[in-house]
Amino acid sequence: MHDSLMQLWYGFGIALQPENLMWSVFGVLVGNLIGVLPGMGPLSTISMLLPLTYVIAPVPAILMLAGIFYGSQYGGAIGAILLNLPSHPPHAVTCLDGYPLTLRGRGGAALGITMMASFFAASVGIVVMIFLSPVLVDVAAKFGPSDICAIMLLGLLAGATMARGSPLKGVAMTIVGLLCGVAGTDPMNGTRRYTFGLTDLADGIELGALCMGLFAVADFLVSVNRTTLHPGHAKVRMRDMRPSRQELRQAFWPMIRGTGVGTAFGALPGTGPTITTFIAYALERRWAKDPSRFGHGALEGVAAPEAASHSKTQVDFIPTMSLGIPGDAVMALLLGALILKGVQPGPQLISEHPDIFWGLIASFWIGNVLLVILNVPMIGVWVRMLQVPYRFLFPAALFFIAVGNFSTHNSLFEVLETGALGVLGAVLLMLDFPLSPIVLGFVLGPMLEENFRRAMLLSRGDLAVFVERPISACFVGACAVVIAIQFVAWVRRPRGAPAAATLPSE
Amino acid sequence: MSVRERITRDHVGGALMAAVGVAVAVAANGYRIGSLRAMGSGFFPLVLGVLLALVGIAIVATTPLRPPAPRETAPATTHGSVDLRAWLCILGSVLAFVVLGRHGGLVPASFVSVFIAAMGDRENTARDAAWLAVAMTVFGVIVFHYGLHVLLPLFAW
Repeated sequence: MHDSLMQLWYGFGIALQPENLMWSVFGVLVGNLIGVLPGMGPLSTISMLLPLTYVIAPVPAILMLAGIFYGSQYGGAIGAILLNLPSHPPHAVTCLDGYPLTLRGRGGAALGITMMASFFAASVGIVVMIFLSPVLVDVAAKFGPSDICAIMLLGLLAGATMARGSPLKGVAMTIVGLLCGVAGTDPMNGTRRYTFGLTDLADGIELGALCMGLFAVADFLVSVNRTTLHPGHAKVRMRDMRPSRQELRQAFWPMIRGTGVGTAFGALPGTGPTITTFIAYALERRWAKDPSRFGHGALEGVAAPEAASHSKTQVDFIPTMSLGIPGDAVMALLLGALILKGVQPGPQLISEHPDIFWGLIASFWIGNVLLVILNVPMIGVWVRMLQVPYRFLFPAALFFIAVGNFSTHNSLFEVLETGALGVLGAVLLMLDFPLSPIVLGFVLGPMLEENFRRAMLLSRGDLAVFVERPISACFVGACAVVIAIQFVAWVRRPRGAPAAATLPSE
Repeated sequence: MSVRERITRDHVGGALMAAVGVAVAVAANGYRIGSLRAMGSGFFPLVLGVLLALVGIAIVATTPLRPPAPRETAPATTHGSVDLRAWLCILGSVLAFVVLGRHGGLVPASFVSVFIAAMGDRENTARDAAWLAVAMTVFGVIVFHYGLHVLLPLFAW
């Protein structure tokens, strides 16, 4: 424990170096700025800014990406509360009570509470991360290829089935993602596969092109001329953000409980932030003396889910960094960015790149402090950003995407690739498929294949190795439980009613 | 109600997945499959293709016929038919950027691609689109060309 604190001190030294701090501030600021814009969630924000990281060193790059992530997450809460517009699925719950609060003129206070809840929850999440990661790394060092395969399988399965309504559709999208990862050059022997004879595809599908296609271009294709955004009638000034003493008391325990929910679920692979916020909200409603207030502007309904989503986000970094297995699509994207920089997350990361790991942890805390400092005076600017009409926003965003994808490898082919993947994403959206499992599959695909082939090589083609080794047997068992739960839920589903999604797409 | 009217989006989606899965599995035979003990390049995609086909069939099989009642959900989730103008303009914009990026340079590529994209929204007039395109071109030249040194010449023909 003493050791962790020393390491943390070292991390603060890294994160506070002028260059690193500068990129971190830049990430938080730009992430917040873009995240506020209607329709821009963390996934599209990070993928749009991904090309920027190619020119900078790994440490500032990951600090910047993390900054973009929680900046855009926070920015998204502003749109959810003031405009009833969830750009990021976890904020769908925040809308339920946040928007009624705005209509009652307490939108500013809701934002203030959100900020406090986020900061508190993130701080708790960071502390958990500091003490849990080294433990997990010790365990992870004993993992063989078959164990890693089994964990990945559980992560993929959980990510596919827990996101929303139809688990089968989630599984289908995960497999599509894995297949996207297969295209290109076989990592084991150099054979070119599924390139359609295009030399440009020899290096595989580009992560940035995939994400921008699926989450930005596809979204434009289905939203333009279809979505009508209501201009905000919220006028929030700095002093409106201070909640009253009674409001603070009201939000205090929900904030603690939300943080607990987020932390508990953060460690489970594959449970996305959306489901976490729903659980936190449901818990509050059950706990409340008067549940009928929920949905009409209960402050508890804002504080708990926001706290849950922020602590979940921090804790989610633990499996991502120490096992190399991301919990959701955003983590997969960050992981992919690290791999592109030549850093392989996994048990060796903490020992081989202590600067990245501890610097990242320290920068989380610095970033969260920055968010508080930034958002109080800038709230007026953010509110004005919210009013940028969509008809100007999407052509500008499309232009940034084109330039960004080009600049990745100075290749116009990748711009075309983005367009093509956008069409694919739009078709899948119209068929009601969830898109985020694709990213999870895409990033994990090559790792899964490599570990699977290695495991089979070691066991001489004996599949029994997955149940013979205790660690992989546990995870294979957990996979079986996940499938069994889904099957039971399907058998017992209410007859007659369509299996409508209760959770928004993730 | 004819069978055709009773087919839901999920049937189409499942069938599409099954078709993709079969295609992938067939194509995998063009690479070396190998055995479990020494897998070739085609093994993993073959397994995935077969799995995808099975999941696709399962989606079709578990979806009841009869279209679901019109759902009253948030506008973001009700993606109906294709808005032809939006699609043509957005894809046209991407294509224009690629073509003009190669045979024109950053300035014409920026202007034309933003203009075309903006025309995709029915509320934008040609004048709005032109102003937006001018603004984005100026911004793009300053930030991308002079600021970030993106390797596209301003003009090239």
